[in-house]
Amino acid sequence: MRWRHPVFVCLILAPTLVPAASEEGGVSVRDAWIRETPPGMTMMAGYMALRNNTSRSQVLVAASSPGFATVMIHRTIVKDGMARMEHASQIELTPNASLIFAPGGYHLMLMSPIRPLRAGDPVVINLEFRGGLVLPVAFEVRK
Amino acid sequence: MQQIALKFSIMMTAVALAAMLAGVWLADIYREHDSRAVLLPNQVITLFPDPKPLTAFALTDHKNRVFDLASLKGKWSFLFFGFTHCPDICPTTLAVLARARDNIAKYTVGAEDIQFVFISVDPNRDTASKLRQYVDYFDTTFLGVTGNDAQIRNLAGQLGAAYQVAIKPGMENYPVYHSTAVFLLDPRARYHAVFTPPHDAEAISRRFKVVRELEAGNAT
Repeated sequence: MRWRHPVFVCLILAPTLVPAASEEGGVSVRDAWIRETPPGMTMMAGYMALRNNTSRSQVLVAASSPGFATVMIHRTIVKDGMARMEHASQIELTPNASLIFAPGGYHLMLMSPIRPLRAGDPVVINLEFRGGLVLPVAFEVRK
Repeated sequence: MQQIALKFSIMMTAVALAAMLAGVWLADIYREHDSRAVLLPNQVITLFPDPKPLTAFALTDHKNRVFDLASLKGKWSFLFFGFTHCPDICPTTLAVLARARDNIAKYTVGAEDIQFVFISVDPNRDTASKLRQYVDYFDTTFLGVTGNDAQIRNLAGQLGAAYQVAIKPGMENYPVYHSTAVFLLDPRARYHAVFTPPHDAEAISRRFKVVRELEAGNAT
């Protein structure tokens, strides 16, 4: 069942598709999307597949966006039978490692959109890595 | 050569016998109606052979109507506990449930006898109008219900659905913890089965079709 998930399917298909959506300093991002939420909701979540193509570790330390008041790196974990969100202060990507931000796991928590977002809208989110690398990534709002 | 063929046929017979025995054993579990839970393949759903009848509870839906034990009677109900300020699990699960409902609606029996209920454990922020806006987005047939803490705790307790609202004074974005399961209640308001994450629309609709058929078979 797990393999039916669109994110995983995209990962499998990724090498055969167009080049990475965003790539800088050897870090690439594919399939960056934000889930559309019901009107009036101020909490959204962003997902993506992140890959470190370099031979040294890359540490994601923060994210920000002109489209949202606040962006935080979160992870949904299930503990004592309950889902909860944990703030991840940093995420290390070892050389050639991939990390999938997917529903039920790591996600970018996007708070208070500056304007209402609907499916198809583009939003830029800047991923900030230790050492000063900032990777602007084009996310697409999807239903 | 012949010897190899003979060994092969003995082996195949043994495999076939083992498969038959396993089948008989599984059928026995279904028939026994004891309190053992049956885990169907992939652990998508846990089915209770002896479903527990729920006792009285009272909540309010997104149109300010009473949602109680009587609301469950005559319908299969899919229940999910969450809150509207939840960015990841809740919209993901509700989107899956909306697709599952579409699938079920295509079956011969249809979706007339099913309902999907989103129970907010965060009544402080989730008013009826907010719930209405929220559930309507996913599917206009979905119900959004909530109540006070004691009322929510009553139903959640009967299903073993854990939740915790960590309100702190002056805190706007307080964390809410909640169970990720989808609870299935049968038309006699009994806790019939539970779907465990990761939720998948196709898996839920297919398993539900089997459950509904099994129950129809039991009733006749």
